[in-house]
Amino acid sequence: AFSAGSRLLRGYRGSHVVIRFALGGCTNRPFYRIVAANSKRARDGKYLEQLGCLDPLPNAYGEKVAGLNLERLRYWLGCGAQLSRPAEKLLGLAGFLPLHPMTVTGAERLRRRRQREQQPEAAPADGSAEPGTAP
Amino acid sequence: MAALGARGSAALPARLRALWGLLARRALAADAGEGRAAKPKPAFTDEAVQTLLYKMTGLDLHKVFRPVKQGLKPPNYKLMTEAQLEEATRKAIEEAKVKLIMPPVLNEREPIDDVLAEDKVLEGTETAKYVFTDLSYSIPHRERFIVVREPNGVLRKATWEERDRMIRIFFPKEGRRVIPPPLFKDENLGTVFQQDRHEDVLNMCIAQFEPDSPDYIRVHHRTYEDIEKRAKYDLLRSTRHFGGMVWYLINRKKTDGLLIDMINRDLLEDATSLITLYHMLHPECQSAKEAKEGNLQGVDLIKVFAKTESQREGYIQLALQAYEEAMATSSAS
Repeated sequence: AFSAGSRLLRGYRGSHVVIRFALGGCTNRPFYRIVAANSKRARDGKYLEQLGCLDPLPNAYGEKVAGLNLERLRYWLGCGAQLSRPAEKLLGLAGFLPLHPMTVTGAERLRRRRQREQQPEAAPADGSAEPGTAP
Repeated sequence: MAALGARGSAALPARLRALWGLLARRALAADAGEGRAAKPKPAFTDEAVQTLLYKMTGLDLHKVFRPVKQGLKPPNYKLMTEAQLEEATRKAIEEAKVKLIMPPVLNEREPIDDVLAEDKVLEGTETAKYVFTDLSYSIPHRERFIVVREPNGVLRKATWEERDRMIRIFFPKEGRRVIPPPLFKDENLGTVFQQDRHEDVLNMCIAQFEPDSPDYIRVHHRTYEDIEKRAKYDLLRSTRHFGGMVWYLINRKKTDGLLIDMINRDLLEDATSLITLYHMLHPECQSAKEAKEGNLQGVDLIKVFAKTESQREGYIQLALQAYEEAMATSSAS
């Protein structure tokens, strides 16, 4: 659709607006800014607008702080911006979008892996205990 | 202490009403005004109550516009005619009235307990909770969406403490720190009270906390208790905190010290307004009934109040005697 968002992208060919994370911070201390940018731009380069931030490390109260400017997010989504996968997952966690299916799949895979790790521990544990208990 | 200008009853300035409309409408379910207005008991926000409290606060221009610690500037002198001086005084009174708008007195807020979604699938994936804040600029802070996704997958609204913390982080304001200064802890408040800086503490408290947060209410009550214990009512007179202090004392029936202080300073109108307010808030007490029957005014009202309601009757009688003697000698000479 011809809207203000697509008008700004006249310089590039075959690009679109994405809402994604731009990494900042220092060594061993990441900090993400949630940003609406042209898809052809560098990850941390010039963006159209900053829509929020995410601190991936928990703070003194054990919380990961994230801010989202929902009003502007709705504007860019209305302009036809696309979301990167981590951005979709974050918005799913926030409740703005429905939960991403990969979040659910990832959770189930993790649970199955943990179960499998517990079972081999249980089986050799039983195997090693039995010769002791059995006469 | 020369009190400049008139201390007449003022119509509530429009800004006061706007400020209070903002806070009263933002729904607090157990709001003091709405809850109490349903029964006959008057609330802090009633016009009559506000006029009485405002009269008692006094309007000492020298104290209101007392030099605040600022950068050093050479003083600014102006040459004025009598008419210009009156005009300047009138404008100063208007500004002083704005400075004396009382901060709101609200009940402690109810805890928020609202679950938006439960996703059992997410259990065990995360180790820490996520706090999402809506940073849209045009929403009032009370209506902002702040939600928390717990590690067990529950998406719930944030508690009041989490809300306050996020708003302090993302929307800095002058005088409001992200971590509240240790000044507001109980053990440190005593030190500040030793230095007679009650007004500064209350101003800092208003800048830092929300009016219905437990910290705000605790600090205010501690301050009022300390003032009442040491009878230093004059520290808050002619500031915007005086009304709140009087409201607190009347609700707990600890008005004797304040009454004695007023009589000693020859502020009889203030004393009568204090007792009128007391009767408005406690209409079933004996002195209220006697006052209504006899339609008493002035000194008689104080005498009836002293006889029936107060604990320190002797002191009040002494103060009244001293006042009457002073009036007699001044009128005689």
